[in-house]
Amino acid sequence: MYNLFIFIRKYNAVILFILLEAVCGVLIVQSLPFQNRKMVNVSNQISGGFHKTTANWMDYLNLKSENEALVEHNALLLKRLGCDENENDTAWYDDTFTYIPAHVVNNSFNRTTNYIVIDKGREDGITIDMGVICNEGVVGKVLNVSEHYASIMSMLNSSMVISCRFLDNQYVANVTWDNLNYRYGVVKDIPSHLVISMGDTLVTSGFSNAFPPNVMVGTVEDYEDDDNSMFSSAKLRFSTNFNTLRHVYVVKNNYRTEIDSLCITN
Amino acid sequence: MYNKLIRNIIRFILLCVVQVFVFDNIQFGNYIHPYVYVLFVMLLPFETPTWRLMLNGFLIGFVVDIFNGTPGLNAAATVFMAFVRPFVIKITTRQSDIEDKYAPTISEMSLQWFVLYGLLLLLLHNFVLFWLEAFSIKLLGIVVLETLLSVPISLVVIVLIMYMFKPVKK
Repeated sequence: MYNLFIFIRKYNAVILFILLEAVCGVLIVQSLPFQNRKMVNVSNQISGGFHKTTANWMDYLNLKSENEALVEHNALLLKRLGCDENENDTAWYDDTFTYIPAHVVNNSFNRTTNYIVIDKGREDGITIDMGVICNEGVVGKVLNVSEHYASIMSMLNSSMVISCRFLDNQYVANVTWDNLNYRYGVVKDIPSHLVISMGDTLVTSGFSNAFPPNVMVGTVEDYEDDDNSMFSSAKLRFSTNFNTLRHVYVVKNNYRTEIDSLCITN
Repeated sequence: MYNKLIRNIIRFILLCVVQVFVFDNIQFGNYIHPYVYVLFVMLLPFETPTWRLMLNGFLIGFVVDIFNGTPGLNAAATVFMAFVRPFVIKITTRQSDIEDKYAPTISEMSLQWFVLYGLLLLLLHNFVLFWLEAFSIKLLGIVVLETLLSVPISLVVIVLIMYMFKPVKK
């Protein structure tokens, strides 16, 4: 205690200097916006770096339990892959559809018949009538295939019709393009007793072999009641933006010939 | 004793007024900002202890800050200047030279010495002040330029003020 007193007496100037400068610093940072923001930035950087370092160390400490969990997961995945033949759980592994990624190399969206060209062809296993989808939803069907390229009849084509289903009530309808705007299509053949509201979602039915079920097609934008006919129609907004299309997936149905042969024999 | 105290108070008020109402309003260009209020700390008697120098510096800096709307900026720089004042006096004078002197003024010391003393203190004060204002190491070049341009102007004004009040002080 006495030593402390001596220390304070000896260095009173330095202590007071630090004290006063600290007061000034607090005043500056509190009252001047630029200095304040800068200080917050710097302190964030310091604390961020500190947190990163500690997180690194903590990760290292957790390595053992992490490893065990990974080994466990690995075993589970191997089992599902078919090492254990008896456990044939189709819910985990569906081999009906294979997806071939492709880039769009040419695209039209403002004509009456629109086509897309992709950079995958016969060599990559693409054949005519395969479905094409993208992250946002349905794109179209393969129309022609060359060795390295394929042309796709997109949804923006008057002769393109796909089978759809209302997501909430499971009713099936057909979707085509409205021939005017690349963002909108028409839902046809809706049973007229069906109550539709705006924003209802349509997905692919899976009845055509080209598309897997439950791929997004679009949402109902506008709806008119027509009491005179058996079927009514609605305006649909495509979930796919055909204008900005870059990456697509060609859907390959591995059992297509089998399904088709059944249809023919029927 | 009271005479000196009252003289210091008057000096304090006058320098604050001159700084805030005259020199803070004069635009010499982007880089020149004369600071003359530091003269108050410069002229405190030789025997003033450092802690009292710093408190005085804080006080006058803070008053100027309040009028400028920059709390802490001038105060920090002036406290720093007050802190280094004893070292500056130590390296620029011999102990025997200042034994019988009361305060570091031109009349008691010499113009030559006072210019050196003022130059060193102003350089340190202005550098700290401008650096705190810029608050960035990237702007160091501009801070140095500002300091080098402002210090001579401040120094000239301070020396002129001292000559103006010379008869009163003597």
